[in-house]
Amino acid sequence: MNTISVRRKWEPYLWLLPSVLLMTVFVIFPILIVFKLSFSEISKAGVVGRFIGLENFRAAIADRAFAGVMLNTLYWVVSVVGISTLIGFIVAMTLNTRFRGRKIARSIVIFPWATSLVIQASIWNYIINFEYGNLNNVLLNLGFLKDAINWRASYQIEFIWECGVGIFVTVPFVTFCVLAGLQSIDDAYYEAATVDGAGFWKKLTLVTLPLVRPSLTVSTVLNIIYVFNSFPIIYTITKGAPANRTDTMVTYLYMLAFYDQRKGPATALSVIGFVLLCVVAGLYMMISMRKDEI
Amino acid sequence: MKAPTADKIRRRNVRALCLCLAALAALLALFTLPAYTFETALFTKKSGNTFVGDERYVQARAEVDEKAAAYAAHQPANTVAVAEEVTTRVNSKGETTSMVAFRVVLRQSKTAWDFIASGLSSGGLLLAALLCTASAMGLLFAGLPGTLSKTPLRLSRPRYLLRQASCVLALAALVCVGVFPLATTQMLERDLIARLGNPATPALEQLIGRAEAFLLGGMGGDQASELLAGVTYHSTVWLWLNLPALLLMLCGMIALGRESVTRTLSRGLLYLFVILLCVIILYPYYVMLITGFRSNAETTDMYFTNIFPTRWVWTNVPDIIHRGVVRFLGNSLLLSGGATLIALCCGIPAAYAMSRMRFRGKKTFLGFVIMSQMFAPIVLLVGISQLMNFLGLNDSILGLMLINAAFNQAFAIWLLRGTFVSISPEMEQAASIDGCSTVGALWRVLLPMAAPGIVTTLIFVFINSWNEYTISTVLISTPFKKPITVGITQFSSFNMIEWQYLFASALLATIPVVILFMFIEKQLVSGLTSGGVKG
Repeated sequence: MNTISVRRKWEPYLWLLPSVLLMTVFVIFPILIVFKLSFSEISKAGVVGRFIGLENFRAAIADRAFAGVMLNTLYWVVSVVGISTLIGFIVAMTLNTRFRGRKIARSIVIFPWATSLVIQASIWNYIINFEYGNLNNVLLNLGFLKDAINWRASYQIEFIWECGVGIFVTVPFVTFCVLAGLQSIDDAYYEAATVDGAGFWKKLTLVTLPLVRPSLTVSTVLNIIYVFNSFPIIYTITKGAPANRTDTMVTYLYMLAFYDQRKGPATALSVIGFVLLCVVAGLYMMISMRKDEI
Repeated sequence: MKAPTADKIRRRNVRALCLCLAALAALLALFTLPAYTFETALFTKKSGNTFVGDERYVQARAEVDEKAAAYAAHQPANTVAVAEEVTTRVNSKGETTSMVAFRVVLRQSKTAWDFIASGLSSGGLLLAALLCTASAMGLLFAGLPGTLSKTPLRLSRPRYLLRQASCVLALAALVCVGVFPLATTQMLERDLIARLGNPATPALEQLIGRAEAFLLGGMGGDQASELLAGVTYHSTVWLWLNLPALLLMLCGMIALGRESVTRTLSRGLLYLFVILLCVIILYPYYVMLITGFRSNAETTDMYFTNIFPTRWVWTNVPDIIHRGVVRFLGNSLLLSGGATLIALCCGIPAAYAMSRMRFRGKKTFLGFVIMSQMFAPIVLLVGISQLMNFLGLNDSILGLMLINAAFNQAFAIWLLRGTFVSISPEMEQAASIDGCSTVGALWRVLLPMAAPGIVTTLIFVFINSWNEYTISTVLISTPFKKPITVGITQFSSFNMIEWQYLFASALLATIPVVILFMFIEKQLVSGLTSGGVKG
């Protein structure tokens, strides 16, 4: 066993103390505060009043924007996580084959992960500008287009762009995780499969996929959390305009709490989002863990 | 592996050769198909108060048709057409008026051969591509006799070099064709249309002359400049198909210098995919780079056709420093450094206990650590800001530090625990037998050995805190306390965005973290898998 003898029984807890203290104060307390606030009356100035039961939840759900925002959140999470997992998987498979310049290609694919989302979102905001954006410039220069295209013609298209940027910034992380999983697969499995006469698809479904599943699970769970909580992309590109049509839950919550000063419904939304996230991520983790055990 | 027979090699080589010849045939065919379409309005007549079919319309139409016929006499058949556009509207008195605009339009498509024959500068690229291809094929055939049944490794040195040279030439042709559309746009927009109003230089006059002969069939006369200014153009799919054709030829040539055609083709596709991927991923960074060093006027130039800024405006850097960017960077450094320090000071003991000690509640704590990753700070914004008000840490960098440290605890403990578990505890046990305390053993023995893992964690937390945006926007209201991610948003106000300053500062904010990330990339892969999968 990799353990060392401990003389006093309470010693391990002393070692954990700083970490537990830090997390209790700055993670657990805010959660408790949000739960408490969601059941209390809050004035515009932020003064916490009496207990009002589910009134805040009723107000949040009764808001006209609520249904649309929830739907947007669903589209946003499913499309960004789903598509970027697929693309990231393909990219990782490609980068796992041997070719010249592989190391450089890997670094290039993965490094955007270290760039701030605000910065990435700002760049794309410039690129898709109708009047002087670089995308139109490039396409016009190459002669693909006769006239500049308005890439932001409607809010639906803007939302698709936001999802696209979301995918663009998420792919590096998936690639990163899957690549780590792929590298840990022993070549012997593939050699054995080749001897048994397995083709590309059989190798993919019977060897690669089962063996990278733990990595895929980690990256998918983390991505669901990150993407759900992703704020800067939508806030930078549309700010949820027009009329919350491109808002996801997180940006809507921010607007509600800090622009409209409706902190009551905002905390109710926080609780709803928090519970949703716990349920979804917990379910996914449980399902994939169970499969792993079989 | 058994060596392939001479017959098999022969068959392979013939297949590769056929691929080259087919690609050549395709290329020559594509050269005779339209590469660009051009549209020029030769003559415009507007007839007011006219309704389709009435007397004035017939009169005007006849006049325009006559003009068109005159133009058509000088042009190839079916290129001159008359377009009419009818605008109706109801005026203030409630009467419907209508205006008909007639345009005699010259619509023509030009093949690659036309470009070469025109003597225009971008046509030279196509000529070069053609010459490269021809000489590549020439060299290939010159080296061919008597080698069809040999593997490339058995070739004599000069013949081997001949094959290599043909590959290089084919690659050169590929590059030439790829650059051609860019050069054409550059020539037409920058060198010709943008300069038409300027005093004529000999070079411009020559260009106008050639373009007139090319596009107007030499009948522009005095109006040449005006007509050329109205030219619109558009590349066709045939032009772009030249690229795959050349690529196939290149693959065939490489296959002749290697083993099998299918293998070479799949390699070619692989490289193509990787290159495309890298280009797409680097594209936003390229935009950031060129936009950060352009002048304000140029960032919002609709017709900006250069690859790089026409003038690199380095003074953008002093400008943004003047606007407080150094201060923001300093805040970010302080914030991330502090957060990293706190996260490590709390995380190392916890990870140590998790990896080395047995105690009740260990699993619960691990579960709590994993669960706490789910608690992203954004959903808890309202709670955090209330807490900060209560603690008096609102609008302070210290508050941000603590928040970032707390929300990075999970990852820090995860990564550190993975590192510690992978190091055998024997050394520490020996140290404690020698009378070293647990703290001493950790400090003198384990930490030096775990240095790579600790550096990885350190950089990871640093990057996360550096890039954090949302909490900082909410908590920090004093301008000079803002970290860089929030600070750069001051360049984009509601009605005006100073793109050049925004991107110059974004560049300054990105470079350090990207460099740091490059250091830990490899470590992080093993750290995440060992910490994550073995749980």
